[in-house]
Amino acid sequence: MSMNDLKIVSTQSTPLIETDSARGVIYMEGDSYPENSFEFYSELVAWVTRYLKDNERPLVVELALLYLNTSSIKVMMDIFDELEEAHQQGREVKVNWRYDADNERVAELAEEFKEDCSFSFNIIGQE
Amino acid sequence: MLVSDLYELRERFDDEKILLCFNGPISRSLIEEIGNALRNYLKSEQASPASAIDVFAVYIELTQNIRHYALKSGLTGADMATVVVSFRDGHYHISAGNLVRLKDGESVQSAVNALAGLDKTELKKRYKEQLRKPRDEQATTGAGLGLIDMARKATAPVQASLKPLANDTGYLSLSVQI
Repeated sequence: MSMNDLKIVSTQSTPLIETDSARGVIYMEGDSYPENSFEFYSELVAWVTRYLKDNERPLVVELALLYLNTSSIKVMMDIFDELEEAHQQGREVKVNWRYDADNERVAELAEEFKEDCSFSFNIIGQE
Repeated sequence: MLVSDLYELRERFDDEKILLCFNGPISRSLIEEIGNALRNYLKSEQASPASAIDVFAVYIELTQNIRHYALKSGLTGADMATVVVSFRDGHYHISAGNLVRLKDGESVQSAVNALAGLDKTELKKRYKEQLRKPRDEQATTGAGLGLIDMARKATAPVQASLKPLANDTGYLSLSVQI
């Protein structure tokens, strides 16, 4: 883990966020409904921008997110848009979103993000 | 209220099938704590994961809208929220109300009414358009994305009522059926 990586512990209303610039991985897990999502996600948004700017390596986003309030959805859409732009320029980008197969709402949420992304976006239901 | 009156209040709650009710100044931590209680209740009642997430989502959007409005408007008393969750006739109903400036209440009411006639496909289109709008533009239209999101989750048109009060204010109530 380099100096610039993030390790944000989860709270009731915010997810765990970890980044690994050496491996090119972002990991997020849990619920996301902070009152001010733009503020909460500013570090992650800055990390993504810097990672994409600083090197040419692939980026894999591993997600186990459950419920997102609409302002968190807006921020995630902004991040996916940035990944899409990088992908259009030839970057290898991948999202793997794992969810409990009983909870179809999570799959529906992930599916709506996927619709707007042309990179590899896997929605993986787990028993 | 006298202590002896509480029984009548409780009977009223029971009659109305109210499972959760809050009235008072709402804070970030209260939203989380009441939300937690709501989730536990839904779990104990064995609501489906889909209904549980929808009810919780609507509760969060409604209460966070009130918090954002209270902070942004600076209107005294706007953070005094009334929140009610009930289960009647096979549906969950999530309602929330607060004091607003009359013109703000009217614009929310017209935004809600404009969504009422749209089907699921049209609502999804609106939702995606709103999601793509720059943040500044979103801020000026207020709770745009949240209102569309609730309309998409609702199983009946969202109800908005506005009761005019003194000094160009009003009491805005929104009610969502899941």
